[in-house]
Amino acid sequence: MRRINRSLIISLLAALALTSVPAMAQGRALLIDGSTSIFPLMNQLAAAYHKSTHAPTPKVGQGTSGVGISDVNSGRADIGDVSRDPIVGVDPHGLVFTKIARDGVCVITNPANPLGNLNQQTVQQIFTGQVRNWSEVPGASVTGPIDLFQRVASSGTQDAFQNIFLGESLKISPSASAEESNGTMRQAIIGDKNAIGFASFAFTPGTNAVSYQGIPCTLRNAKSGQYQGVRNFWMVTKGRPKGAAAKFISWVIKPHNKTVEKIVGSEWIPIY
Amino acid sequence: MAGAPPRLGSAPPTAFSPAPSPGVRGQKKRGQDSISSWPLADRVGYLLCWAAGLLLCALAAAIVLVMLVKGISYLRPGLLLEHPSASQSQSGSGGFLDPIEGTLLLTAIGIALAAPIGVAVAVWLSEYRRPAALARAVESGIEMIAGAPSVVLAFFGLLIFARPALAFLSQTSAGGAVYGRSFFAAGAMMSLLALPLVVGATREGLAQIPAHMREASYALGKTRATTIRRVLLPSIRPSIASGTTLGMGRIIGDTAIVVILLGASLHLEGAGGLAGLSTLRGTGSTLTSYVFENSPAGEGNAPEKAYAAAFVLLMMVLALNMVVTRLSSGKPRWMAGLTGPMLWRWMPWTR
Amino acid sequence: MRRIPSAEGRAELALGAVAVAVLGFVVAMLVTVFVKAWPSFSHNGYIKWFFPGGDVDQQIKAIVNSPPDPAHYVYRLRAWPLLWDTLLTTGIAVVLGLVLSLLSAIFIVEFAPAAMRRILEPVVRLLAAVPSVIFGLIGILLVVPWINQHLISQGRKLSVSYVVQLNGAGLLVASLILMVMILPIMVAITVNALSAVPSSWTEGSAALGVNRWRTMWRVSVRTARPAIIAGAVLATARALGEAIMLALVGGSRTFPVNLLDGRTALFEPVRPLAATIITYKDNLTVVPLSQTLYAMAAVVLVSTAALSLAAWSVKQPLKRYGIRT
Repeated sequence: MRRINRSLIISLLAALALTSVPAMAQGRALLIDGSTSIFPLMNQLAAAYHKSTHAPTPKVGQGTSGVGISDVNSGRADIGDVSRDPIVGVDPHGLVFTKIARDGVCVITNPANPLGNLNQQTVQQIFTGQVRNWSEVPGASVTGPIDLFQRVASSGTQDAFQNIFLGESLKISPSASAEESNGTMRQAIIGDKNAIGFASFAFTPGTNAVSYQGIPCTLRNAKSGQYQGVRNFWMVTKGRPKGAAAKFISWVIKPHNKTVEKIVGSEWIPIY
Repeated sequence: MAGAPPRLGSAPPTAFSPAPSPGVRGQKKRGQDSISSWPLADRVGYLLCWAAGLLLCALAAAIVLVMLVKGISYLRPGLLLEHPSASQSQSGSGGFLDPIEGTLLLTAIGIALAAPIGVAVAVWLSEYRRPAALARAVESGIEMIAGAPSVVLAFFGLLIFARPALAFLSQTSAGGAVYGRSFFAAGAMMSLLALPLVVGATREGLAQIPAHMREASYALGKTRATTIRRVLLPSIRPSIASGTTLGMGRIIGDTAIVVILLGASLHLEGAGGLAGLSTLRGTGSTLTSYVFENSPAGEGNAPEKAYAAAFVLLMMVLALNMVVTRLSSGKPRWMAGLTGPMLWRWMPWTR
Repeated sequence: MRRIPSAEGRAELALGAVAVAVLGFVVAMLVTVFVKAWPSFSHNGYIKWFFPGGDVDQQIKAIVNSPPDPAHYVYRLRAWPLLWDTLLTTGIAVVLGLVLSLLSAIFIVEFAPAAMRRILEPVVRLLAAVPSVIFGLIGILLVVPWINQHLISQGRKLSVSYVVQLNGAGLLVASLILMVMILPIMVAITVNALSAVPSSWTEGSAALGVNRWRTMWRVSVRTARPAIIAGAVLATARALGEAIMLALVGGSRTFPVNLLDGRTALFEPVRPLAATIITYKDNLTVVPLSQTLYAMAAVVLVSTAALSLAAWSVKQPLKRYGIRT
């Protein structure tokens, strides 16, 4: 009995060792974390990077832009995805931001409430809580109280919405529900007829994207510059990018990189 | 059991075996009083009891029916065999093969750690118990683990596995920080969930071995260690199996540890290096975290996938439960699987 | 001292070492959680951490946005809304569950026909086995929309829309589903206790002409009271630790339910302690937030440990009657 057990163990170890030889050729994968808006883009870029250069696929996580910054700063991630511009005094020193794309932010409502257009004043009144009922909003197809949705504090999209639509002084009403990510924001809007919120353009299918100041929130208008609500996507490193991170970032921002152009152009705005 | 306080009267009838004495426990005999002769308050109480019992059945039936209907309508065999699609939104094609693999792998790791340690601790508590104060402390410790919520265990796991000394159990980033989330980490914390159940079931089994078996073994000149190994443990194999299966059920059903300690990647992503070790050091997902992420609380925006995965999860758990019932059949106590290990904690004199 | 044969001694030492290692692990866990939680308590003046004082969501927002310099970390938290929500959901779930479990247990032990008794054991076992994420899924996908459409009127929503949004997920759903989750524990312990009451006592009561219900209520339930209470305490500990299901159906805001709102209070969102930990798990890399979450975990750990101890001591009287449950 003992001899059988011992030989079993030895053969198991041998099998493990044999199968591991090809796997040992792999190096260490990059760890990327950050914005939920950039998450779908970064996933595609990582897969394409692995396909074209055979480097190990970078691992992409998400947890909002603020988490991306603190992860990179503490060394827990190699690259951080940040969907807002750097804020002096709040962001740690020594971080280097590299722009990789631009993105549109749309105000979204439930498909049962196909609001055609909102001007800046109405958007501000709705989101600061001055206007509380859909009956006061021209063009609304539902009645009843307005259900406001915003994002959590560390979200880059939240920061972008604040800067683009509300400006410096106005604050979103505290009764608004805070959603963790673009995905949960979209879920919330789809699930509630009286809902209104905002999301990155890539997350608007399934909801009604509301025109802003008369310009529809579409990819074409964002690319042409007509639609005002556009913000930057950054890849952030601690200090200048080095090693595997530098290779990945330079692959992404290389001009005339057809693979990257195709991916970015599908739902975002290329920087070239 | 040696040392149990003397009982008043005869052995109590159990809830599931008909009472030997007529008239008191639900048997209709001649001379039995009928409900209509009772005062109003008592009749109301009687009706409320019936209502409560039926409500319980209705709740269970509702849960099973809902999951059955929704699960069967959304589940197709292909889902069990396809990898999840790589995108955020799971509502398109793609199944949940990786979450199923994750569940099985995590359960295997958890039980592989919990079973030997649990049996060892139970044997020590039952057979040796020296010094007595230490034994009581260990019992309290097991009790504390049993009562600790899985969120707290998951948090503690984050602390442990983010230490540089344990970096080999997960990945490290280029900056040197330890990721701390992997199958190893989640599996180790899962084993804590199953540990009290294994310990309780094993102790109960050991306590039910009649004294004459041990005495016969010692009379033949065997040492205590040999007695344990050759006589006691083999005879309580059903108890150990029952405890292990209960532990597996608990591990399969847990979400908090997976969500915090497994890295939340849809696919099983290895960490580079040896093939087997790479998966263990890498991240992944399980059925529970898959359901969580695809529900409105998470990202996936695919409630139909969530239902299908939840259905598979429920079937796994129910199958394990039936195994436990089979293994512990013949135990006189009601709901022996559920209450045995738990009551053990509260009633140490029942050992 | 008697010399132990060496092989025997080795076995005892080895097994003892494993047991002590487990104990050491538990102690290390307790100590580490408290050490990690300490900054959050100390920066908030220890006691004031538990007081009310503003919107918890905003306070956590400020913590997450702390500047990276350790000297300027923001820690301010007044966690009373979380504690209040926890108390409410757990309290309602345990009280309702106690009533329902007692009645069901009496039914199982006394009044159920044999066929129903055989069905009820798998039923209770099934309720005990269903994972919490499935309870949460059914809750959020079926129960919450139903409540939103049928139980909450527009007028009710308007009445509180200045302060909070109602969308079905809230106190009512959370407490009810929590009650269903802790029911099996209480039912199982109560049934065992009731069946273990010595039959001579119940037979004596019947011989005096007392009907079955009254016998059960006055004799068996009274005797088994310590076990019933211990079951309730055990169920409370379980309810305190429930995070996933409450994160799914509790609602998306940390809001202290205002009982003065009357029936509307049933629909206000709740976010108990354990659910808050799960909600903010993605932001753990922010140091002050992780310390705040450890503080919440420490509070949960202390309460469950205290409840475990209380249940143990409550069950001591049963020894007196030789009741083996």
